[in-house]
Amino acid sequence: MLVKKEFIQMARDLKVFWLPLVFVFLGITQPIVSYYLPTILKMVGGGQGITIDPTMPVQQGAEVLASTLVSQFDQLGIMIIVISMMAVVQTDKANGMLAFILTRPVTVRSYISGKIVSNYILLAGSVSLGYLTSYLYVNYLFSNVAVINMIVALLFYLLWVLFMVSFTTMISTIFNSPAVIALLSIAFLFFSRIIVGLSVAIDFINPASMSNYALEMLMIGTVNTDVIWSVLMTFVMIGFTMIITNFWIAHKKYVTD
Amino acid sequence: MKLEVKTVTKEFKGKIAVKNFSMAMQSGECVGLIGPNGAGKSTLLKMIADIIDPSDGEIVIDGKKIMKMKKEIGYLPQYPNFYQWMSAQETLRFMGELSGLSKDHLTKAIPKILSRVGLSKDADSKVGSFSGGMKQRLGIAQALLHKPSLLLMDEPVSALDPIGRREVLNLINDIKKETTILFSTHLLGDAEEICDRFIIIKNGEKIEDATIMDLLSRNDVKKISVEVASKNEQWIKAVKEFNFVKNVEVLGNKVEIEVENVQLNKKKLLESVLEHHVDLVKFEIKSGSLEDIFLKLVVEK
Repeated sequence: MLVKKEFIQMARDLKVFWLPLVFVFLGITQPIVSYYLPTILKMVGGGQGITIDPTMPVQQGAEVLASTLVSQFDQLGIMIIVISMMAVVQTDKANGMLAFILTRPVTVRSYISGKIVSNYILLAGSVSLGYLTSYLYVNYLFSNVAVINMIVALLFYLLWVLFMVSFTTMISTIFNSPAVIALLSIAFLFFSRIIVGLSVAIDFINPASMSNYALEMLMIGTVNTDVIWSVLMTFVMIGFTMIITNFWIAHKKYVTD
Repeated sequence: MKLEVKTVTKEFKGKIAVKNFSMAMQSGECVGLIGPNGAGKSTLLKMIADIIDPSDGEIVIDGKKIMKMKKEIGYLPQYPNFYQWMSAQETLRFMGELSGLSKDHLTKAIPKILSRVGLSKDADSKVGSFSGGMKQRLGIAQALLHKPSLLLMDEPVSALDPIGRREVLNLINDIKKETTILFSTHLLGDAEEICDRFIIIKNGEKIEDATIMDLLSRNDVKKISVEVASKNEQWIKAVKEFNFVKNVEVLGNKVEIEVENVQLNKKKLLESVLEHHVDLVKFEIKSGSLEDIFLKLVVEK
């Protein structure tokens, strides 16, 4: 019922329309730009010093799809996810609705899960839609990508999205200023994504490595068997953020009086 | 239903908001929590509503922790804030479902409660467009929806204009018959109108807990006020010399005389007025108002 309320609110905010649209747009950008880049360069460059190497290998479909994830979703995408979610708990705190809701026999857990489930459904749907659009364009403009690889990669990626959602919810619960929430979440998520690959130990606990697994899945078609542990670890991290959120609200640390 | 607040203390970063506060309430009572601004009224109500935890002490209903008794409590915050994008009906449905009421039940109960608080016509209007009085009435509807045995109201009328105030006071007077009410206010008149028992709180401490009759008889003011056209120092001096006069206060053209027994002493006093040829305007026996008692309690103690 809290989930239902969130969806009605998202519909009234028109969030259910613009979020998928933005991700579809992001999904289309990469294949189209990659496809037309040589042509654009040729036209703009006009042969003055820039030579287009005719032997340059044509980009593979999988590469383009992977770069949709890495250079579109992991950059602009993170910002959009955080911005669309930064107020998730913060507004309820600011206008007293959270305290009000909790005067009713509602558990903190159902409040938080209502927020996370509803936002995750919307974001996962938007990301998947954008990704699938990208996939269609890639298949049309470049070489085909195996369906299985495409789906497994998406699942890895969606796990990373779930972490983004639960992490932003946690930050939104702890901090009161929307700017601080956005800045902190974006900085942390970017940082996590950047340090992927630096150290095996960090990758193991870093949920952003899910994005890298998605990349490998598309490029190579297989991933390291250790991935199971890393996936489990990501779930642990997600659970951890939820526990902190729960603790914070249950112990009434949000009360600012 | 029995509400017990047991030696509750609340501290905010070293500042004590409520100090060692105890009280008990029985079913059917209506209690006004009165105190100046910043006395700790809201903090106390928030603790009873389980929005904040006391630093020390406990609050129980029928011997059980309030955390498990939320269904029994209806709470109206000082500034009820609902989702602006919801209509009145949606708000009630949402809050009702949070309270665990079934959909069928709500479909029947919501129109009833809306007509009760006089919002039937605005059932489908957005809460964002409501006036203060309407929001307050919606807040009351929300607090009553699940038929709580205890209704907590934090300053239900303080922020309203006279019309809105009247509406809400009438509504509370009406509800009073069905449920137990604890409400806070800094306006004594409101409490006097609705409740028969008061708890006066100051600086987080309880300084008085009594019924209106108790309060009036205990703090019976034994004063005679004499208004004169021009001051007569001789007469005032003479009055001070009476052995039954306890205190004389001169306020402009008014002389307030505190005596031991109004009934026995008034005649003597009047005689002295005539004797000294005082230019008399008014000779009045003062009956204490609640306002005086309140001021006396809050300022003196």
